[in-house]
Amino acid sequence: MFSISDSALDPQALRDSVRNVAAGGFVAFEGWVRNHNEGKTVARLEYEAYEAVAVSEGNAILADAMERFGLREAKCVHRVGTLELEDMAVWVGVSAAHRGEAFDACRFIIDSVKHRLPIWKKEHYTDGDSGWVNCEHCAHAGLALDHANHHHGTSSAAMPQPTPGPSQEGNSGPAVGENVALAVPNDTPVASTTIHADTCETPLLGGAGGGLNSSNAPITQAGYYARQIHLKEIGQTGQDKLRQARVFVVGAGGLGSPALQYLAAAGIGHLAICEADTLEASNLHRQTLFDAPGVGQPKALLAAERLRALNPFINVVTLTDRITRANAVDLVGNYDVLVDCTDNFETKFLLNDVAVLHKKLLIQSSIYQYEGQLFVYDPHHDGPCVRCLWPEMPKPGCVGSCAEVGVLGAIPGVFGSLQAMEVLKHLLDLPDKLQGDTFFMDLLSLRSYKAKAERNGNCPVCGDSPTITAIVAEDPVELDAADLNGDWSGYAVIDIRDEEEAEGEPVPITFAAHHPANDIRVDALDIDLPEPWLLVCSRGMRSKYLAMALRKAGHEQVYSLRGGTRELVSAK
Amino acid sequence: MTTKTLKIGYYALLREQRGLSEETVETAATTPEELYTTLKSEHGFSLEANQLKVVINDAFKAWDTPLQPNDNVVFIPPVAGG
Repeated sequence: MFSISDSALDPQALRDSVRNVAAGGFVAFEGWVRNHNEGKTVARLEYEAYEAVAVSEGNAILADAMERFGLREAKCVHRVGTLELEDMAVWVGVSAAHRGEAFDACRFIIDSVKHRLPIWKKEHYTDGDSGWVNCEHCAHAGLALDHANHHHGTSSAAMPQPTPGPSQEGNSGPAVGENVALAVPNDTPVASTTIHADTCETPLLGGAGGGLNSSNAPITQAGYYARQIHLKEIGQTGQDKLRQARVFVVGAGGLGSPALQYLAAAGIGHLAICEADTLEASNLHRQTLFDAPGVGQPKALLAAERLRALNPFINVVTLTDRITRANAVDLVGNYDVLVDCTDNFETKFLLNDVAVLHKKLLIQSSIYQYEGQLFVYDPHHDGPCVRCLWPEMPKPGCVGSCAEVGVLGAIPGVFGSLQAMEVLKHLLDLPDKLQGDTFFMDLLSLRSYKAKAERNGNCPVCGDSPTITAIVAEDPVELDAADLNGDWSGYAVIDIRDEEEAEGEPVPITFAAHHPANDIRVDALDIDLPEPWLLVCSRGMRSKYLAMALRKAGHEQVYSLRGGTRELVSAK
Repeated sequence: MTTKTLKIGYYALLREQRGLSEETVETAATTPEELYTTLKSEHGFSLEANQLKVVINDAFKAWDTPLQPNDNVVFIPPVAGG
């Protein structure tokens, strides 16, 4: 059972609550408030939860864990309210017949809780400053309603980022259960926007020094690339071009697996992996970059680890945020080539627009069951872009995704390899680059053809009078009271606070309706007011989460008041 | 009414719904739009012509391009899998 508590947690009582005569092992995880985050000294913390959703989601996670790992008991409690240093913020405990399931399940639960629950953390620093942590990620929400989808590939259903139990990230050390120590290794990948950039310009030593190298001979770059340097079209000059190349791969899935491996192995000097999902068992049949023990871990970090081992002579950078209209231009700014290994129209069209407007080479592939296609947009060639053929993005769902229609693993294997090959052809200026044509191949009949297309003068992005001239972020969800300047007339202002909260301090605003957040069912709304709606809670966290969820459910004009009623009262 | 022989190719969802990837048809249709309308009602395709692209003899063409005997016509739905 999952619960939210506003008072101190008692680990002894919690431990007793998961005792079971059939259990041979117990594992607990405790998250503690640590004294620092990202270089700032933390004095205390506040947690706020969207309780109704957090509890139902938390229970769904525990039920899933019970079934997945065959547990005897599972329990999780998360604190809300003000916490001091060393206080316990979250407790997870499981009991199972054997230790293996207990360890795995405990890890699964805390990771899922961090990823899925609408719980926010406000840090108060010793310098008097304070800030909500991970609010931006939580705002990607819509998750509670859609967690069946949000792990697949790079789908547009954004996956929320963690609500950290404080000891999850950084150096406060692993928490210890009462019975069995749950060791979190120091190098556990952590889902965040951290950019890793490792360089290994020195040859790996043989023997113990190299770790990966069992021979006594050191591995040198000349030796590593010998076979491709031998090609007369490449040589050392070509290899140097690859070393200087900056390639940004979006999606480390079926297409990304081979594309990334061949690009890394070919010696692309600067390789970025942009992937927000964690590895699932259903990925493994086609995403051969990964191993079964990695299930549950962030794919970008697993991929980076594998690629750095594959080729220690390149820089690999990971981005675990989902690419969106808001961040795309910044993320790809330093790269020359975009490799679209995504599985959804929204990202494909976004990457096309970025490529056209910011003059990036775009290598795109898409697959369907036993077939696939390959397309290249070259900004230095007067050819078509994706929108020349498809001015409007097809409706999501008009054709099935891999999850819906199935796919055989070797299909993206072939097309991801073709993408790597096209990147290399363009970087090395090899003959017969794909330029303007779309290449199609049916892997059953082995029939293939190229279809020519011309640049379309009416194209909305690369045409003669384009209508898309910049990558504009979506209508922001959060509104500032200061911007409204006391004029609420454009909105139906809805109070979503609990009854008790609403009875507290008077606020300088007239509400059109009161619908406590915990009673709002996104799939069965009973709000009888015309949009736009402006949702207001105490701090602006639940309202933002709910606004995101409602937008995802098709209510386009729903907003959240930043900072909530507290901001209004303090500004008065 | 004169008819002509065309080679038709289906891709992705259309291939799935048609149950084959290639066929030869005898048709009176003068444009790919007319041709698709006929095929759609015959085979119950779920997508409308405006959701597709048409390739004639290895080049993307407009839906009102006149069809010639022995043209190779391929209908292409949008695809996003990865």
